[in-house]
Amino acid sequence: MDSLKEDLKKQIIEQLNLEDLTVADIADDALLFNDQGLGLDSIDALELIVLLEKYHGIQLTNPEEGKEAFKSIDTMAAYINKRKAA
Amino acid sequence: MIYIGAEVIVSPLGDNAEDNWQALVENRSGIALVPSAGFNQEDIHLAKIAGLNGPLRFQQLVIKVLSALEARIDASILTSDRTIVLISSTKGALDDNLHDQFSETCIAVMQQFGLAHLPMVISNACISGVLTLNVAGKMIEADQYEHVIVIGCDVASDFVLYGFQSLFAVSDKPCAPFDAARKGITLGEGCGAALVSAAKSAFKNAPLQLLTGTSANDANHISGPSRTGEGLVRSILKTLRYNDVLGDEIDFISAHGTGTIFNDEMESIAFSSLNLSHIPLNSLKGYYGHTLGAAGVIETAVCMQMMRNSMLIKSAGYRDAGTSQPLNIILENEPKKLRTILKTASGFGGGNASLMIRDL
Amino acid sequence: MKMITAYCNLRADECLVNGEVVARRDAGSEDSWFKQIYRQLDLGYPKFYKMDVLSQAGYLAMELIKKANPDITAAYADDEIALVFANASSSAETDRRFMQSYETGGSPSPSLFVYTLPNIVLGEIAIANKWYGENMFAVLPKFAPGFYLNYSEILLASDSCALLGGWLEVTAGSTDVFLFMVEERENGTEFNNGNLLHLSQTGLVAAY
Repeated sequence: MDSLKEDLKKQIIEQLNLEDLTVADIADDALLFNDQGLGLDSIDALELIVLLEKYHGIQLTNPEEGKEAFKSIDTMAAYINKRKAA
Repeated sequence: MIYIGAEVIVSPLGDNAEDNWQALVENRSGIALVPSAGFNQEDIHLAKIAGLNGPLRFQQLVIKVLSALEARIDASILTSDRTIVLISSTKGALDDNLHDQFSETCIAVMQQFGLAHLPMVISNACISGVLTLNVAGKMIEADQYEHVIVIGCDVASDFVLYGFQSLFAVSDKPCAPFDAARKGITLGEGCGAALVSAAKSAFKNAPLQLLTGTSANDANHISGPSRTGEGLVRSILKTLRYNDVLGDEIDFISAHGTGTIFNDEMESIAFSSLNLSHIPLNSLKGYYGHTLGAAGVIETAVCMQMMRNSMLIKSAGYRDAGTSQPLNIILENEPKKLRTILKTASGFGGGNASLMIRDL
Repeated sequence: MKMITAYCNLRADECLVNGEVVARRDAGSEDSWFKQIYRQLDLGYPKFYKMDVLSQAGYLAMELIKKANPDITAAYADDEIALVFANASSSAETDRRFMQSYETGGSPSPSLFVYTLPNIVLGEIAIANKWYGENMFAVLPKFAPGFYLNYSEILLASDSCALLGGWLEVTAGSTDVFLFMVEERENGTEFNNGNLLHLSQTGLVAAY
């Protein structure tokens, strides 16, 4: 498994206090903000912004960018790789 | 008939309803900048009571307000088996005992005042105060008690401030409810009380009439208001219908008006869809900050003072219209005979509640 | 007459509906007890994972009652079921975790903070069922049947037609959850002091 994606899942579980979930419960392409995915909301988006800074040193200031980046584990990993490459 | 009176307010604006009223007439706010109060030592605007420090602040305030109320009623009812005290609060004595936030205070109050029953605590986030006043009225309607003393109290804490900071919900200026430039809430602390009773003779000064209302959940989100105001609309509609009052009979609305973008917008949508947009309205948060579990009781007490003094108090912090639906926000204090007023509240957990007070 | 038409007790190791054990804790499982029940019920409501323990307990007990009495939801309009809950320790368990987030965890956690009020569980149940009715949460020294009897008298005299009562005490050391449905019926278990007290103790081990 892609280690960045694996790390992201662990970090999401830690940061969002989802300790009932395991890494295996979160699919790479599950829609994080969809009720059938993880059912996250705007409060959780705040936590994801903190997560990006805390674990990856990335500051996200444009909320529109966040919307795209936080769609799924796949898009988060792609966003982190893009920001780190820039 | 259900009477309500003997209102008391302990807040940054004074220790009794009259001092608070004088401050409101002068449009003085209890909000001030407190250096290094925030999580990262930010300076934060708060409405804090001067001199209220150290342990047992919650208990001190509750006892202080009940002593003040005792002086305004037939004191013999305090110890009656037909009297109960209801305490409305969100976090109680959290700073004293995280694992038991209320019972020490309830026991202390019971012992000090010789109450027949242990006070009962209602904790429903920001609608606690209005909800508790309604419970009080309905307990009397059902003849479960003859007198119900309602106390609303919350004290300032790092816990609550840091929490609202984490939500980016704290304004960097004194809160500006309904204003176009509003940026969030200002937290406050305080305590309000009133006696709700079936007996007019229980009050030393003439009481008003409580028209009890209903609560309704938004069924939408635990920490964000409904975009449509569904729960608030339902609550107000039922409150009007239950009391056989028409919207046009309302002379004034004391709104929740926290100063967050979404709450104030939601309220404008709800009042508009009820055709209540033209009724004079204010939020008292610009004077007291958001006192959470105390807010509904303190603000209802202020409404009673407005009725007694026949005066509308301006909505502090408001300048330019900032909601999608128009509201008739009170820009300056204005003498006006107030016969029937509506008080509303909305809060975390999706709760909404409303009640009315009528002049006798 | 007002009858208790369904009830659920959540204990540390057992979950009972109408007095029958429907789930037993698998001590060997890595999953939390509430997650085991959620899995067993196959609920498909991912928001469950975000909830604090009080909300998880209330949500699960409600779903179990609905499963045993599927008619409940359809029998009432969306604002006719009132929710009346209480406990002794408010949201202390989540309060403690939120406090940890800023005292030792670096920064206050918004996703914990929104659960630091005891009435949030009422919101979660209202959201899950699209219920717009009356809500009340009281903090009482201990389970008190009189509280529910008195307040139900008030509610059922106005717009509410049924009541979901709840006692939800979930702390680090104990799980004592009792949800019950009160409806107007001809016969059944009468909604009174003795029955409420008796049913609240369902599943308690007699040894202590």
